[in-house]
Amino acid sequence: MGTLGRAIYTVGFWIRETGQAMDRLGCRLQGNYYFQEQLSRHRTLMNIFDKKPIVDKEAFVAPSASVIGDVQIGHGSSIWYGCVLRGDVNNISIGSGTNIQDNSLVHVAKTNLAGKVLPTIIGDNVTVGHSAILHGCTVDDEAFVGMGATLLDGVVVEKHAMVAAGALVRQNTRIPSGQVWGGNPAKFLRNLTKEEIAFISESAINYTNLARVHASENDKGFEEIEFEKVLRKKYARKDEEYDSMIGIVRETPPELILPDNILPNKGEQKSS
Amino acid sequence: MATFARLSRKALKLTSPLSLSSHHHNPLRSLSSAAAAVQPHQQSPPPTKREIVESPDRVKWDYRGQRLSIPLGQWNPKIAVDAYVAPNVVLAGQVNVCDGASVWNGSVLRGDLNKIIVGFCSNVQEKCVLHAAWSSPTGLPAETSIERFVTVGAYCLLRSCTIEPECIIGQHSILMEGSLVETHSILEAGSVVPPGRRIPTGELWAGNPARFVRTLTHEETLEIPKLAVAINDLSKNYFHEFLPYSTVYLEVEKLKKKLGINI
Repeated sequence: MGTLGRAIYTVGFWIRETGQAMDRLGCRLQGNYYFQEQLSRHRTLMNIFDKKPIVDKEAFVAPSASVIGDVQIGHGSSIWYGCVLRGDVNNISIGSGTNIQDNSLVHVAKTNLAGKVLPTIIGDNVTVGHSAILHGCTVDDEAFVGMGATLLDGVVVEKHAMVAAGALVRQNTRIPSGQVWGGNPAKFLRNLTKEEIAFISESAINYTNLARVHASENDKGFEEIEFEKVLRKKYARKDEEYDSMIGIVRETPPELILPDNILPNKGEQKSS
Repeated sequence: MATFARLSRKALKLTSPLSLSSHHHNPLRSLSSAAAAVQPHQQSPPPTKREIVESPDRVKWDYRGQRLSIPLGQWNPKIAVDAYVAPNVVLAGQVNVCDGASVWNGSVLRGDLNKIIVGFCSNVQEKCVLHAAWSSPTGLPAETSIERFVTVGAYCLLRSCTIEPECIIGQHSILMEGSLVETHSILEAGSVVPPGRRIPTGELWAGNPARFVRTLTHEETLEIPKLAVAINDLSKNYFHEFLPYSTVYLEVEKLKKKLGINI
């Protein structure tokens, strides 16, 4: 740093100090109503006494999710934004390729009224929809729990079974393989078709890929984020009329270009 | 009991430093967020069970917390200057929050497969999840679009649905893929709209699955935008409570200085 640089740095420091002093003055004027912002104290993975979460390195855990206590998360699973996995009194185990979507809650019960021990076991390639509540239940491989569903203590969802959106499954219910249950309390609705069963495993794969994109985005450091912001601005696609006098700049292209591995059959336009 | 717990924890620490070593690695690493960079893998997960391999680089505590807007690819979430988005909301991908809209605490708007639009003066209340599927079963576009003066209640789940102007979606409602709520309709709390259902204009629906209850009176339809505007007014109070940028960076600088990390 040259002499001029040092001088400017010092002046900058003075001005910043003045700014902070102004900030403190403002805070004092606000008095009791002032709330000082703190660093985030949210813990994504948290130990409880001697129980600590074990998370595979390929799994995605969103920074706003909380994974507490005795939780095992397998390869390729994803825990999305705002989820709470609270394995404090018993253990939660999540298989590989499973996704637990935003704002869901997974909890366990110590024992139920009959004295049965109830850990929560979620198998492989399970899709648990947004805001689902899973409490002390067992979900087998390739099952599907719809959006906003609630599974109470001792529920067993067998392989390829499906719980429809908004269902409330009461205690100790067993949902047999290949059936759809829905409603409050949950009742048998119909049998699953072959395509739907295929769709469940496909949706799990889609989610695993999608989670990878989110994971890499969420793990970026500050410099990288700033750098990409600049890049995005620079390469914002210009409109056809850009060369005209108006000079319209369209910031984002009309189609989202995701990496190819997100949806394997993008051409077929399968719903996911 | 508490003292016993403390003692035994101490003993645990003394006896097995190896087992606990993973959560006090050096502060540099825990602060550097780039630590857990995930390598993209080509192969899909094999169906066989495999051992859980822990990564020492996984951050247990990110000092920045969750970022509010997460750009995916070239898509950056857009928030209009006078829209209120609560600080613990997650906006990911193609999300567009228009003027005067408000998104309240704990909501997740995840537009990673398709667009999500929250229209003028609409509000999405606490703990809602808005997501868009890749395609919808009906011919409608699979984007989640909420148009003007819509009130979406707390704990709602919206997935690839279209809500036309001036509607009310009650709390804890679930709208599945490709459902359409036409203008001036109201969904009661806790209703579940199955895929591809259309709710005609000026009607009140409720239940799981949603059923027709009655048609709305003229006075009620006039009330709907008033509610949206009232919530917009409330959101303005919140909006003014937050300064343009936070002063947390001072805390970070202080912490870094204390730990002796060069800035």
